[in-house]
Amino acid sequence: MTDTALRLAGATIGYGDVAIVRDADLVVRPGEAVAVLGSNGSGKTTLSRGLLGLATVLGGTVEVLGAPVGRLRERGRVGYVPQRHTVSGAMPATVREVVGVGRLPRLGLFGRPGARDRAAVAEAVDAVGLADRLEDPVASLSGGQQRRVLVARALAAEPELLVMDEPTAGVDAASQAALATVLARVSAAGTTLLVVTHETGPLSGVLTRAVVVDSGRLTYDGPLGDVGPGAGPDCHHPDEAAAPPVRGYRLDQPRPAPDAARARGSR
Amino acid sequence: MELLEYGFMQRALLASLMVGLAAPAVGVFLVQRRLSLLGDGLGHVALTGVAVGVLTSRAPVGTALVAAVIGAVLIELVRARGRTSGDVALAVLFYGGIAGGVVLLSLAPRGQATNLDAYLFGAITTTTASDVAVFAVITVVVLGVVWLLGSRLYAVSDDEEYARAVGLPVLPLNTVLAALVASTVVLSMRVVGLLLISALMILPAAVAQLVGRSFRATLYLACAIGVVVSVAGTAASYYTGTPSGGTIVLLAIALFLVVTVAVALRDATARRRHGRRVDVHTAHPHEHGEGCGHQPVPHGDHVDYDHDGHLHAPHRTGTGVHYDEHAIGRERT
Repeated sequence: MTDTALRLAGATIGYGDVAIVRDADLVVRPGEAVAVLGSNGSGKTTLSRGLLGLATVLGGTVEVLGAPVGRLRERGRVGYVPQRHTVSGAMPATVREVVGVGRLPRLGLFGRPGARDRAAVAEAVDAVGLADRLEDPVASLSGGQQRRVLVARALAAEPELLVMDEPTAGVDAASQAALATVLARVSAAGTTLLVVTHETGPLSGVLTRAVVVDSGRLTYDGPLGDVGPGAGPDCHHPDEAAAPPVRGYRLDQPRPAPDAARARGSR
Repeated sequence: MELLEYGFMQRALLASLMVGLAAPAVGVFLVQRRLSLLGDGLGHVALTGVAVGVLTSRAPVGTALVAAVIGAVLIELVRARGRTSGDVALAVLFYGGIAGGVVLLSLAPRGQATNLDAYLFGAITTTTASDVAVFAVITVVVLGVVWLLGSRLYAVSDDEEYARAVGLPVLPLNTVLAALVASTVVLSMRVVGLLLISALMILPAAVAQLVGRSFRATLYLACAIGVVVSVAGTAASYYTGTPSGGTIVLLAIALFLVVTVAVALRDATARRRHGRRVDVHTAHPHEHGEGCGHQPVPHGDHVDYDHDGHLHAPHRTGTGVHYDEHAIGRERT
């Protein structure tokens, strides 16, 4: 295992040649659980997409699991939960089929799932509390349950790093609770979590460190508990949300080493 | 049976069997990808290939296959490259294909049989023995690739962004799918015709998705439906003297309408029957389950949840879970 799960150094990320996130420095160690906060349009989603190869690294360094993001061979080591409200496509599919897709990166180009793969899929579905819905069509599930299916799909690959985009937005309380439980378990097992969100409430027991993105810049990096109310902005009012965090340290000022920040993260 | 005594009918029925099997096997992925009309576009492109074959006195099936596969690869490259101009580039390719075909065919020397209608709408009498051999190879290859790569093709068709994020080879898989579509277009050109082939890819999938629960079951069902309408339509066209392509497609549409109505009636009946029970929550905003915050109460074969003093019984239906009101201390209503 590498000693950093993520390393951004002077990273500029965007689409085409338009930079959205500029000059970002960030080190995340294996096993950390980090919230990426920011208002709509702040660049927090672009930051996460840069780690997944879905946005372009225009400058600087972006390393994922020890390799430059473009050259990471086994992308299956990274789990991804996209910001998507439903899973159901045009054709019917069962929960087992959708989650089974998550296992494909582990199988190579032509491999067929074996007993170990089927077990991983069943475990992932069980972990998100949908074991009794394994053979049901995803379209018959509620919105919150469909989100949990997407989480299970990411977990089926048994990833070392799990990147999630707004996993709790618009999800009912039961699904939020189920999500917090499974993320706590995954985190305790050593998986690194990076959760892009505008609300830390439902996952506050799991996430320990926060990074705030504002207008494409990282403006805060420190313990989650120290983020002021203004830094976990309400997505519906992005104009009111730009207030700087009240505590923690600003990244444009001298700051403690990442290890110190991690130690403060109550892990 | 009378129609089996003719060699051309035997070949036509064999070809329709293969088309009916292969076209929906590819079509379900196109529907999933919301790219239903790709087959139609590649049919246009194949017409240029047919014309080249006619002009150079080669078998049109071979030249159409080459043209359609080249078109398929070009389309995927255009889609992968630019986003803004992709739509227009596709239109240029598609209409260029059919215009090129028509113009080239008109240049064919007089006396050479070039029945444009036969290629556009299918004509069962035109299937030669060597066509059948080529079709058999194409069918085996198409079904083999779907069997081998089906789960990957599903993954990419279902959620391309996710597939890219986890490192599946998205562009190669999309190109493989487009090449499968191109091959199926050519396979179908004798029986269904280049303008109608898309229908035989899409309609069986559209029927199957109304009743299927899993993707795999829907795929198999679509293939079964494809075989039935294709073979039945070809046989019917022998008796009615109508073009096979149009007959097959009308049959498929009729089936689509019948199944749509049947499913709607089934759902309405189920709702009505259910509605007779007392106090049903159809749209319960809260989802009961383990750890939902409500006290679970075992109740015979299921678990109710104590919701502010009355019991909610999670209850699965075709469209989701909803909640019946179960009275405390009473038997199930």
